[in-house]
Amino acid sequence: MIPAQFDYLTPATIDEAVGLLAQHSDEAKVLAGGHSLIPAMKLRLANPQVLIDIGRIKDLAYIREEGGQIRIGAMTTHYQLESSDRLREICPLLPECAAQIGDVQVRNKGTIGGSVAHSDPAGDWPAAIIALGAEIVAVSATGERTINATDFFVDMLTTALEPGEILREIRIAAPAGRFGQSYLKVPQPASGFAVVGVAVSLTRDASGKCQSASVGITGVASKVYRASGVEQAITGTDLNEQTVTAASTHATDGVSVNGDLYASEAYRRHLAQVYTRRAIEAAASRAR
Amino acid sequence: MKIEGTHELNASPERVYETLIDPAVLQRCIPGCERLEKTGENSYSTTLRAGVGSIKGTFTGNIRLEEMQPPQHFRIIVEGKGQPGFLKGSGDLDIEARDGVTAVAYKGDVQVGGTIASVGQRMIQGAAKMMATQFFTAIEAEAKTESHEPPPKHGFFRTALRWFSGLIRRK
Repeated sequence: MIPAQFDYLTPATIDEAVGLLAQHSDEAKVLAGGHSLIPAMKLRLANPQVLIDIGRIKDLAYIREEGGQIRIGAMTTHYQLESSDRLREICPLLPECAAQIGDVQVRNKGTIGGSVAHSDPAGDWPAAIIALGAEIVAVSATGERTINATDFFVDMLTTALEPGEILREIRIAAPAGRFGQSYLKVPQPASGFAVVGVAVSLTRDASGKCQSASVGITGVASKVYRASGVEQAITGTDLNEQTVTAASTHATDGVSVNGDLYASEAYRRHLAQVYTRRAIEAAASRAR
Repeated sequence: MKIEGTHELNASPERVYETLIDPAVLQRCIPGCERLEKTGENSYSTTLRAGVGSIKGTFTGNIRLEEMQPPQHFRIIVEGKGQPGFLKGSGDLDIEARDGVTAVAYKGDVQVGGTIASVGQRMIQGAAKMMATQFFTAIEAEAKTESHEPPPKHGFFRTALRWFSGLIRRK
């Protein structure tokens, strides 16, 4: 329960942080809220020689609106997102998802940037991020680039971030029109991680028909994914019970479902379908 | 834990079989394999350095091949241990030609214990699938290469070195 020795660096600016990361890239790890990395280090499953703590960089924790986008700083904690009144109004999926992460301590210390960069296959944020079609801003010593959420999550614990890059910001197009969102999950009772987590964001047109829909599912496969079969099956419909139930059976189409001691493959597949249906129903009812 | 899967490779069954039991090829194709030494007929000792991003662990162990029936079948027995935990398992590989490609079906039973099993159980199956895919992708590249050509370079090392990372967020 005591980590191996490491050097601890505390850059004051993001430029300094990427400089340090470029210097140490292979043996360094960026520390955000520390709620994945620190436990792994204490168990000696992770033994980075250098920790670059970005927690002391000012202005990395914010929720801003700019040019029709919601911009969230990497160090914004789950609690800050959960308790934002403005977000509850303009993008309620974010606070709804934040409120279901881990426990109070995790939400107070853990950050959205850390969680997304870690890309845990059962993390809650990736489902919401992918359903909202977010963009991820990564910064390195050589500049900055924007990565689409769908391209960002590569595989289990693997993202499109290059070794010298730090996730700086998450950008989400502010939902418009008659939109409805929801995030529903089955938490693993011991860890709080999603056995299955489903994020839905949809819009209705003037006649009430589903105009667009995106469904992000976490916990089921080795990485978060968009359930495109479900999305196609509900788009253009009036979202009645039969349509939604039938569409939800596509929740795991084309996906290699994982099993563990707590939930077998078949059980997870079943949960994914049931929770997809419920999440769509909840989002649909909010889009009236 | 049971693991099984099928990978289709674009090479002849004979070539795939040859590749799968060639220690030099295996060393290049097993994600994170640093050392693979012959200790006897069809048995090897190995050092694997596997990890993801922050998490890296070194495992040492033995690999034994049995029931060799070229070019259709062999059985592999693996055991290894390291700081993050231990694993023990065996599996059958069946190789057959199918519509111009070669299908390799694997089916095995693996026991994983130690820290990794107690805190990372939920990720083991996914990690196993990920490594199997990396392995067979590399094997396919090898099998397509003629024996007089230089071996292909495998681009998966970075991913391979990351799969262990953060097996847990909290416990």
